Amino acid sequence: MAVHGQKGQVEQILTRADIRTAYHEDPEGAEQRLFGRISCPDRRSFLKNAGLAALGAALGAAMPFHRNFPAGLMPIAFAQDTGAALMKEKDGLTVLADRPLNAETPAHLLDDDLTPYSRLFIRSNGLIPQTALDKNAEGWTLKIDGEVDNELSLSLDDLKNDFENVTLALVLECAGNGRAFFDPGASGNQWTVGAVGCPEWTGVRLRDVLEKAGIKPSAVYTGHYGNDVDISGDQDKVVISRGVPIEKAREPETLIVWAMNGEDLPALHGFPLRLVIPGYPGSASQKFLTRIWVRDQVHDGEKMGGHSYRLPAYPVAPGTEVPEEDMEILTVMPVKSIVTAPATGSNVPAGQATEVRGHAWAGSGDVKAMHVSLDFGQSWQEATLEPPRNKFAWQRWRANVTPPEKGYYEVWARATDMNDVMQPPVAPGWNPRGYGNNIIHRIALFAQ
Amino acid sequence: MTTRGKLARRAFPSRRFNASGAISHVSVAACLLVGDIGAPAAHATEPSIQLAQQGGAPGYDPMRRGIGRPTQRGEPAPPGNPELGDLPDAPGAEDTYYLCSACHSIALVTQQRLTDERWNYLWDWMVREQGMPDQDEETREAILNYLQTHFSSER
Repeated sequence: MAVHGQKGQVEQILTRADIRTAYHEDPEGAEQRLFGRISCPDRRSFLKNAGLAALGAALGAAMPFHRNFPAGLMPIAFAQDTGAALMKEKDGLTVLADRPLNAETPAHLLDDDLTPYSRLFIRSNGLIPQTALDKNAEGWTLKIDGEVDNELSLSLDDLKNDFENVTLALVLECAGNGRAFFDPGASGNQWTVGAVGCPEWTGVRLRDVLEKAGIKPSAVYTGHYGNDVDISGDQDKVVISRGVPIEKAREPETLIVWAMNGEDLPALHGFPLRLVIPGYPGSASQKFLTRIWVRDQVHDGEKMGGHSYRLPAYPVAPGTEVPEEDMEILTVMPVKSIVTAPATGSNVPAGQATEVRGHAWAGSGDVKAMHVSLDFGQSWQEATLEPPRNKFAWQRWRANVTPPEKGYYEVWARATDMNDVMQPPVAPGWNPRGYGNNIIHRIALFAQ
Repeated sequence: MTTRGKLARRAFPSRRFNASGAISHVSVAACLLVGDIGAPAAHATEPSIQLAQQGGAPGYDPMRRGIGRPTQRGEPAPPGNPELGDLPDAPGAEDTYYLCSACHSIALVTQQRLTDERWNYLWDWMVREQGMPDQDEETREAILNYLQTHFSSER
């Protein structure tokens, strides 16, 4: 694509795929054409200044040891995309890391009943597979094997045609959402409140597929695999492979999906196929899904062990080093809510009612009540709480608050689940990796 | 050989590019005109991403109190060096940058405030489970000291 730069220069925007093609066809010619590098007899050469700058620009980093880099060898960074170019399709997300790509949504941009693609958080463990970037689902198969009577290898058409199609609104939340509010800090991306969303997903029930395969009585757990690529570029390394107890896999809201909000899955969210396992950590909802291995034991895939997605078996003091053998798998996510309107820091009229609203959800699938406080938690008023459009969809809540006079106020919003468990005003249950923080969300209001 | 070179070599003997390529950030938004290219000049392959510690929410956010606190004791943190992914300039900063950014965003380092012990644990975890080649004692100490001085919840 040619674009005009500030000085009227015509610039060529090369995609990584273009660069890969050029290197594939003629490696040394590609270097010369793209970056002005001319090979010497010893197959080392210097990049001219402009070439070095161009290469640096294409890589996003300078290449100080370029003299040592063999001629005609494509820098591995071009071998796989982070998906960063797709950020232009997102609206106002906060990027926490670009390799792998992780971005969350500010709370006031999560006000939609159904979260649009542009406002759904991005949690990548690895790089985006080329099949997803190319939107190429040709020959895609999903293998179901392990503790089943009949191994299945299903094409996308098989899934669409041979099973009942289901469309459900389901909350997807990163297990580490809220990690930033632990003190001392817990390792990983410092998500605040916006690693959550509730799009509408279309697919088939995992249980229908498992039944067709005939699950054996020995089945206790699933193990999920996708074709994402490790950030090292090593194509053989499994980036993440998690699973769920077979009972969870058989719940009617646990889906294998190919569409989000009526469109093919976007590349960043798992094209062409992913799991959505609502109520569980988002990591269970494998993207770029290629295989479900039915296990006769708890799955031991990548990021199932150690401190990954696991909590201490007993409460620990903040900052405690917990032995790995004392860690247990995190399964059901806690009850939680966010305030999506007004945006934090908004001006509102003193002495008049202002509507505040947001969403509430719980890993167990039911929120019973929603309360808000305008006086730092000293008194609470009940908010209206709409029923979910289906189980595991988030629930809209609304309340009118009236600041009595000019000044600084905070709206505190607190959800209560069907077991009478409610969100705490301080970060609960410190754990080494910072999972499951359902601290009350607070926003600021300035009454004028 | 420079410290940077030694470290890059030690870290990734077989992935020379990965280690050395993670050096000093050049904005891909920069306009470049490469001569002799036949077709128009090469330009960036991916847009530069604005790495942000702060979200896009307008106004004051009470949830952000307590996140990324300045150091509570000792000297105030030196300002971040954009050449080193906004790591504060101090002994160990360069080694930290080149080792960590060979595998992941340096933002993953700068956004965290862990306990001293947890930084030690993470080092061993990266060696044990993430394929990070272990470094000599001097380098390990330099980098861990740097992380514990500037990105610890204990000071």
